[in-house]
Amino acid sequence: MHYIEVEDLSFQYENEPVLENISFKVEPGDFVMLTGENGAAKTTLLRNILGLLKPSKGNVHLSAKNYLGEQLVVGYVSQQIASFNAGFPSTVLELVQSGRYQRGKWFKKLDKHDKEQIRRSLESVGMWDMRFKKIGELSGGQKQRISIARVFATDPDLFILDEPTTGMDVNSRKEFYQLLRHNSMEHNKGILMVTHDHEEIRHYANKHIELVRKEGSPWRCFSMDSCKELSKPHS
Amino acid sequence: MFFYGFMQRAFQASFLISLIAPILGLFLILQRQSLMADTLSHVSLAGVALGMLIGINPTWTNILVVIVVAVLLEVLRQIYHTYSEISIAILMSAGMAVALVLMGISDGGATLSMTQFLFGSIVTINEQQIWMLLFLMIIIVALYIIFRKPMYILTFDEDTAFTAGLPIRTMSILFNILTGITIAIIMPIVGALLVSAIIILPAAISLRLSKSFNGVILIGIVIAIIGMLSGLVTSYELGTPPGASITLTLMLIFSITTVVKRVFRL
Repeated sequence: MHYIEVEDLSFQYENEPVLENISFKVEPGDFVMLTGENGAAKTTLLRNILGLLKPSKGNVHLSAKNYLGEQLVVGYVSQQIASFNAGFPSTVLELVQSGRYQRGKWFKKLDKHDKEQIRRSLESVGMWDMRFKKIGELSGGQKQRISIARVFATDPDLFILDEPTTGMDVNSRKEFYQLLRHNSMEHNKGILMVTHDHEEIRHYANKHIELVRKEGSPWRCFSMDSCKELSKPHS
Repeated sequence: MFFYGFMQRAFQASFLISLIAPILGLFLILQRQSLMADTLSHVSLAGVALGMLIGINPTWTNILVVIVVAVLLEVLRQIYHTYSEISIAILMSAGMAVALVLMGISDGGATLSMTQFLFGSIVTINEQQIWMLLFLMIIIVALYIIFRKPMYILTFDEDTAFTAGLPIRTMSILFNILTGITIAIIMPIVGALLVSAIIILPAAISLRLSKSFNGVILIGIVIAIIGMLSGLVTSYELGTPPGASITLTLMLIFSITTVVKRVFRL
């Protein structure tokens, strides 16, 4: 089964094509890194996959079910999420626990299991001690961490991450990639991540999609180089 | 003053409005739609003028008109996604223009009654208005308790809300409608010119005082109760218009909390 199936996708802003002939699949257990130069429409591709934008040609199919036959839960960290409104009235804990709402808790109280997942997520990014701080008082790097903690708290079947490690130091990045690899290999999660650190991530990911400028195109239009299988990472 | 029936009803209405205003106010502020309350109150005038022209209770025509405009606001907000405040500017001017035209068509009596809707009259509240407010308060508080979590996500980030599977457009439209109905009911009491101040100010003040989402609502309610009731007492004692007295009291609280926060670096 495929969590994401992109078939011959093209997308244009007004009359300017920015993406053409994109096709790939993300399966449960895949850790796919998506790279490309600045302005290569990587975020646009993610937004097409999520349904936030509509492709001008081709199809995007996001599975409704996970590999166990339950409803697929998607966790998304957008590029701008860490620049969220500093005045938003929320503590770190409130924001991270909102990640659990998607897990059937919109109208139910969070239980012991939810609270344990929230605690582990905050600890995994080193933010447990700051859980009662107002999110507007955090630095850019700390905001990035709680965005990641929020998505881990959701415990989604499919992670869609848009440059989630911006502003993080090398060690934190390494820990984060290890955690993602653990999720994909041990828990069959699907991961699609936009990144610039492809040299670092290639040790963790198992597929690499690169968006490259289309030759002979009058516009800044990007297409896929290929979907390369990387050597299987060790667990 | 507490022995006068009209003052008792005024206090009851103020208390009920204090429970509603911070809830709506916070979500309006977080969606960057603070001026929406102003737009809907201007449009409400058109609803009132229409009711007077065709001889129907203006509250009902008002509610009908604000529901239509609340939907239109969301449609325009989607069209002008990057500059969503355009929707507010367009509908505010259109609402006022329609109100003035309808007032021009009807006779002078309508113009006179319009004054009450423009400036409000908290001391002429009747039993029916109190019951309507009580009903509205119960609905809004219940909806807040039920939909607090989806609304938290929606106001935090629309993309995250969409990805989480929330019907963001429907939620926004329903919220606009609820705000519109509230304004239509509150407007004859506090006046079209000040209704948005009473909705927005308590939440704006408490936003600076609490770290948490629920804290903002609770502190907002306390601030609204203090501001509304003391504004009402001031109005009675000094003989000033109630809506304006309440707004100035809330402004005073805003100034005091801002200065205290600055001085003590809270």
